[in-house]
Order: sequence, then structure tokens, then C-alpha cells
Amino acid sequence: MKREGKQQVWKDYQKEIADNDYYFQRSCIRQNFFPGSEYAFLKILREELGKNIYDDARQTTCTGIGYHSDIIPFETIQTVVARHFALMTEKGFRNFVISCVTSFGIYSEIFETWKEFPEELEKTRYYLKKATGREFELPENMTHASDIIYKFREEIFAKRKHSLVNAATGEPLKIVEHIGCHYAKIFPRKGVGGAEFPQVLSGMIESWGGEVVDYPERRHCCGFGFRHYLVMADRGYSVANSRKKFESMEPYKPDAIICNCPGCTMFMDKWQYVIAETDKKTYGANGNGIPVLTYEELAGLILGYDPWDLGLQMHQVDSEPLLDKMGISYDPDLKYTGSNGEKMGAPMQPQFIH
Amino acid sequence: MDTVVVIGAGVAGVEAASQLSGFGHEVILVEKNSYIGGKLAKWDHLFPSLRPASEILTSMEEKIKQGSFKILKNTEITDISRRNGRWILKTGKGISLEPDAVVIASGFGLFDAKRKEEYGYNIYNNVITSVDLEDKLKKGEKIRMTNGKTPRRIAFIHCVGSRDEKSGNHHCSKVCCITGVKQAIELRNLLPQAEIFCFYMDLRMYGKDFEELYREAQENYDVQFIRGRLSEASENMDESLLIKAEDTLSGRPLKMNVDLMILLIGMEAGEDTINLCKGFKLERDRSGFIKPKDIHIMRNFSSQEGVFLAGTCTCPMTIGDSIDNARAAAIEVHNYLKNKHLR
Amino acid sequence: MAISKCITNRDKVFERITSDVRYKEGLKSCMNCGVCTAICPAAEFYDYDPRLLLTTVQTKDMDKIEELLKSDFIWYCGQCMSCKTRCPRGNCPGLVINVLRKVSQEFGYFTESRMGRQQYAVKRTVGENILKYGYCVHPEAVKPELHPEQGPVWKWIFSNRKGLYDRLKGNYNNSGPGTLRKIPAESMNELHSIFEVTGGMRFYKVIDEYSKKKVKEMGFEDDEKNMNQYFMHVYKDTGE
Repeated sequence: MKREGKQQVWKDYQKEIADNDYYFQRSCIRQNFFPGSEYAFLKILREELGKNIYDDARQTTCTGIGYHSDIIPFETIQTVVARHFALMTEKGFRNFVISCVTSFGIYSEIFETWKEFPEELEKTRYYLKKATGREFELPENMTHASDIIYKFREEIFAKRKHSLVNAATGEPLKIVEHIGCHYAKIFPRKGVGGAEFPQVLSGMIESWGGEVVDYPERRHCCGFGFRHYLVMADRGYSVANSRKKFESMEPYKPDAIICNCPGCTMFMDKWQYVIAETDKKTYGANGNGIPVLTYEELAGLILGYDPWDLGLQMHQVDSEPLLDKMGISYDPDLKYTGSNGEKMGAPMQPQFIH
Repeated sequence: MDTVVVIGAGVAGVEAASQLSGFGHEVILVEKNSYIGGKLAKWDHLFPSLRPASEILTSMEEKIKQGSFKILKNTEITDISRRNGRWILKTGKGISLEPDAVVIASGFGLFDAKRKEEYGYNIYNNVITSVDLEDKLKKGEKIRMTNGKTPRRIAFIHCVGSRDEKSGNHHCSKVCCITGVKQAIELRNLLPQAEIFCFYMDLRMYGKDFEELYREAQENYDVQFIRGRLSEASENMDESLLIKAEDTLSGRPLKMNVDLMILLIGMEAGEDTINLCKGFKLERDRSGFIKPKDIHIMRNFSSQEGVFLAGTCTCPMTIGDSIDNARAAAIEVHNYLKNKHLR
Repeated sequence: MAISKCITNRDKVFERITSDVRYKEGLKSCMNCGVCTAICPAAEFYDYDPRLLLTTVQTKDMDKIEELLKSDFIWYCGQCMSCKTRCPRGNCPGLVINVLRKVSQEFGYFTESRMGRQQYAVKRTVGENILKYGYCVHPEAVKPELHPEQGPVWKWIFSNRKGLYDRLKGNYNNSGPGTLRKIPAESMNELHSIFEVTGGMRFYKVIDEYSKKKVKEMGFEDDEKNMNQYFMHVYKDTGE
């Protein structure tokens, strides 16, 4: 594989990412399953990079999950999105940063629909005014949270306590990057690096000392499927897709998987558990799974944040193999404790995976 | 004596120059390369009969020898202007030409396969274009994977950069299908053991002897045709390629490992043609090629007076069609010049 | 009487499909190249073909389209939009699916298929979460029994949720900004109002009513207990 070929593609697909003064749109899945990541994102931006980012208490879900499982009319989600633009406008911001990839996809889709069908925009203005009395301006810049970390990856690395290198051997760690489908597949120009060879996570991995693993099923969907997961009956579809990816990446022996979509991170983590329990198969070494992290968790580890502050204890597949490789010290006794170090029990260990 | 400048010494340009000089006009043929023949100079054997391309080049050289027209090689038109109703052309070497008519025979451009990123050209090791393959065939190179292994399974991919909104080219490039069939046959002769596949949407076998060659490819050369456009290619650990298409005739998605992938790249308006259009202020089609004044009855006229068109600068053509088209252009120019004097 | 009602309904259905902006965005013209099916995850794992879906809709044959609306076929798509990236004509089966699913629910066809019936479960979970919590997913609603695939770690998280989200600097169920905050009443009112005005509430009702109709067709009363059982049934029914 020729890296220079990919670099050419990356050059062609660079996008405008605002420098500061962000309005933050939170993610349902991340708040539930990766609360440490959203917290780390805000902390890194505010405390490490000195940026101004607004966290609005009045936000609701964007309803994207409901929309893609087809219980939310298009008019409804357009108006919910418009309400968030109204809140952004009210607070004086014009740069919209979105935490979830499904959100990013639907916001982008709605933006483009409004461009091509201005009557939809007018209809939405009318609905929002009627329902809430609010009016809105369109953001000048709309990006995903991973774009921001990508933009400041060198600045983050400059403050590093660790890098993506095997502390014992000095070899770069092999990292699989998985990009959420709705990040760049809908509008390739809205993703850094485009849809085929996205750079948003490769850029982070390489800047932080790691080696990117490219494997045949890299672009394959993780299998969320929205309604396929939300309802129990068809979850097999979801597992099957992730399993396909695991089988494809296994020969490359990756040390970790990084995702920029909340759903993907959750599924790549949880489905390894399911596959282990049903097929007795694990994809990491020694009965371990391959640790799956969000990019903020990875950034946080680079910056020396405590793994349990980042929320790694909420993952089903243990991250300790990665932490050990990176030479990060952590206290295993504090893994399942509360804010004051109080013990909170511990999850049962699965039979066939760590 | 009227002067005609012909721009481009490819198949069409040499034919137009030869005919016009035969009609008694003074012809100056301007060619940017050091050699004549344009794209023809790259080809090895031609469809549909697989005769050597060099035979056509030889006949062109004969025409030049026997003709009385001047060729300026290594020369480009760098400036175009109008004065008192006449075209003033300046070359890169500082020569100024004031012809009574111009024939644009600047040929076509090749689709840059890098733009079709999902096929991995210039990223994956064993992805080449039909032009790359033709070059290897011409040089007599052994057809091997980059790691030296003999390919056991080869896939030709049709419609690369054609019929594709995303590539920016809606049009069909006409000659890629027959090129694929021809090259598949040539590879069969070189690699008797390989499996050879063509992934197509439609097989455009419109020309004389094209359909017959397709049948021969199936019956005598064991080329397998799968009706499904390639969706994506990825690289395996052993540098073979994992390709995904749908076998649309059976309605099933299809995945396959191949050792070598050949992209049948399409024709588009070349950079030279685009620059000439800017200089002469010529209208271009939606496809990017030069727009003829009338698609049925004035195919050699451009939107500007005195500027005529020959060959693939207007649309994809075979070599035979380009020669026909160039002869027609010569007649139109000749009549134009005759009528100028009568007015 | 029944026939003419049928014709009028089908005209309405056709009009509803072709006037939807996502139909206009999703189907320009299909030339049957197959790049969508080639990389469609649903086509890999189900007996599904997005190319066939688009060409069927393209025929404008209401017999075939009505059949689609009643079948599992339109429910296989996982909405990944990989098809949109590749289509050389700028189509998107994923978007057309959104329209067909919408119409299937609006006109009551969805209860005819196993996967269509699941919409009741989606509405009862994600749908009601949105109106109750202002989130699509909320820990209170991710019951470990309904989500065994979330693993033992989720069981632990669920039992210790207040303590854990606090530990991770959340603002669990409290006012003010932060992870899993309680969304202020005024914002929830605005959200409800948006649903009311844009037809979101009405759509939930439509899903409810057709599902109740189905339960009655199956020979049961559409009371709360039976609807709960129906919920469990469609939530788990794999059709095997």
C-alpha cells in the first residue's frame, strides 16, 4: 500500500474547521455509555487548549436515532435541529460542534436539504416559530467533535505524558481506526479525508506516534442498523457486521480500535463480548478482546489523565492491555469506585473474554 | 493561397493536414510533443482485429512524407487573439501565425484513475489502468503482481470515470468496453492459466466487428463477464485485492479476491482542448468536450467562425472514426475557404 | 365500494411517496449497476437488494409498491448510507427507504410484516424516551434484561448509576449543564410543542392505533396488559 497515494486524497478532502467559540451539541449514546469522553472533550478544549465552548443545559436529543428508526417525521427532526440553531444564535455563537456522528449526519443532511429545497427551510422556520416562538440563524461552521481534536492533535501531543508507542519496545502501536458511517459516507466533502480514506482518526493516530492498520473491511459498517439494534429480534444483524470486521482485522494483530462514532465504539466493544460468549472466540491476545476507545479517551491517555476518570471502567472489553503497553500506571483497586473512592462492587467477569 | 493551421499531429490532425494540403492549401501542423501520433503512439495492438498500432503510425508517416505541409514539433499555441476578423496564433517559440482557418485536432484526455478513490489506484499495489497495461504489452513486459507473483485471477473494471456523476463524467466513453475485451484476449494469450473477469454494466459493442470479438472472447478465450459495476476494492495482507460488486443478473452481492485489477479508464476533454476553448472562446458540451455547431449536420464546425474541429476533441471516437471525421473537417474547411473568396 | 376505496388510497400513497423531499433526493434514475447492493450490509445478511428496491419504485407500479410496503423488504436497511457514497447517478436507496417506511406506517401497511410490526417497540422505547426524558436513550430505560448484550458491565453500571455518573463528573438528573442532566421543564415543553406542531405526536398515535388494530385482528382486546405482551412479542419475534 502506498501511503503517498492516501496523502494525495487527504489533501483533496480538507475542510474548514473553526478555530474557537464553539456551541456544543451533546450525544445521547455518549452521555449514557461514554460520559467520561464528553467530559474529557470539554476539559481538553477548555483547560488544555484554552478554547471557548458552550455547554447548553436546554438542549434535548437531536432525535436522530428516532429518525433513522423511522418513528420521527422529517419535519419534526428539522424543527428540533432548528431549535438548537436558535439556542446557538441566542448565545451568540456561529460554530456548531456535534458530539455524535448520527447527529452530524442528520444535521448535514438537513443543511443540504435546506440548500436544495429552500421551501423546507421556510416551513421549518414557520414550525419553530409556531411551536416555540424562536427564530434562528444557520451556523457558519458545522463540524464533528473528532474534527476539533484532529485539528489540535499536534497541540495535544505537545503536552503529552504518553504516546502511542509500546513503552517496552519503542515500536509504534498498531491501531485500527473505525469511522462512523454518517461521518463521511453521506457527504464525503464534509469529512476530513473524504469517505474512502478518511484522515480524521488516522491523523490523530499518526501524530500521536501510532501506526494505522488498514484492513479489507475497514469501510464496512459496524452494524448499528438503528432499529436492528434497538429491537432485540434482529440484533444478529448488528453482531454479524461487527464480527465481519473483527475477522478481517484479526491477522493484523491490532493493539486497539479507535472510533469516532458513539454507537460504533459501543458495538465494537460489546459485540466482542457477545461473540466470545457464543463462539468462545476472542480477537486479542491471551483471551483478551481488542480494547475499543473513543478518540477523547485516547487523547486523555496521551495527556496523562487517569483511565478511571476517563471512564474506561465502563467498557466491557478491558483496556488494561493497552494501558500496560503504553506504560500508563493505574490503580486497579480504584477501577470500580465512586467519587470518594467508595467501593461500588464490580461487574461479573464474563466466561470467555477479559 | 490560403493558410490553415492544424493543432495536434495525432490521427485526426495528420489526416486533416494531409487532405487540406492535397486540396492545395498551405498547411502548418503544430504538435506539442516531439513525436506524432498522439495517443496512438502509446498503443500496442488495436481493436477489433488486434493489428499492430505501428501500422497506422507508418501510414501517417507516409502521408507526411508525401504531403507538402509543414510540421512544427515541440510547439504549443500559447496565445490566441483576434484582429480584423482574423485569428492570430502565437507559439511558445515566438512564431506568430495568421491562418485563414484553424482546425483543432487536440485529441482527448484520459480520466485520472486516482479520482476514483474507492478503486485504490496509486494506493494499492496491483491496480493499473488499461493505458498502463497497454504500455506493458508494448514493452513486452511480463504481467506480474508487484511482488513478482504471476496473477491467477484478473479483473477488468468497466466504466472507470465514465457514466459516473461522482467522477464528474456523465457520458459514456464508447471505446473502453471493446478495449477491455481486446486486452482480456491479449492477457489470455500471455497467461493461459489465469481466470479473467470483466465487470461491466452494459457491453457497448456498437462498432464493426465489436460484437463478434466479444463472442470470441467468451468462446475461444474463456473470458468471464459479470454484469455488475465495481463498488469498491480493498487490499489484502498478501497484496491481492478484495473486490465487491453485485452479480445483478442473479441479484446477489459478490466478493472476490483478485491478484490484478485493470481499470478501463474513460475519455474526457484534455487539458490542451480546454485551454484552446478558453483561447478561442469556444462553447463546450456538458461532457466537457468541444461543442459542435450542430450535432447532426455541422459536426466539424465550432461556435466560432473559422475554427473547425476534427477527432476526439469533440467526443470519444475510434481511430477509424477520427480519420473519417478529419476528412470531413478538411472538406468543410476547403468549402469555407472557397466561399470566402467568392464573397 | 372496497375497490374504489383501494384505488383512491393507492393514488394517495403514490402521491405521498413521490412528493416527499427525500424521494426527490433519493431517486433520480437507476441504471441497475449494482454498486449499492455490492456494499450493502443488509444485502449481505438478509435476502435484500437495494438496487431491486429502487428499480421497483422506479416502475411506479402500485401493485409492486404496495407489496413492498407490506413486506419485510423495506425494513432490512440498516441506514448506514454506504449506498449514497457510491451511486453513480446520485441516488440513495437509504433515503427512499425512509419515505417507504414512513408511508408504510402512515397507511397502516407496516403491521403486515414481522419487521414492520417492530415499529411499535421502537415507538414504545426510543419514542417515549424522547418525550419523557428528552434523550433517545437514557440509563433509566436501558433495562439489563432487555439488553443482555450490553454485558455484565452494564448490569453493574445500571445498579450503580448515580454513583458512577457522579464519579465521571456527570450531572445525573440534576438541573444545569452536564452529562445526563435533567432537561429543564421549559425545554421539554418546547420539545413537546414541536412534536405537536410538526406531526410527531400524531405519528406516534398512528403507530399506536394500527398496532392496536393488529392486536384486535389477532383476537385480543387492545388493553394495556395485551399491548405490553404485544410489545414483548414484536420485540423478540425473530420469525423462526
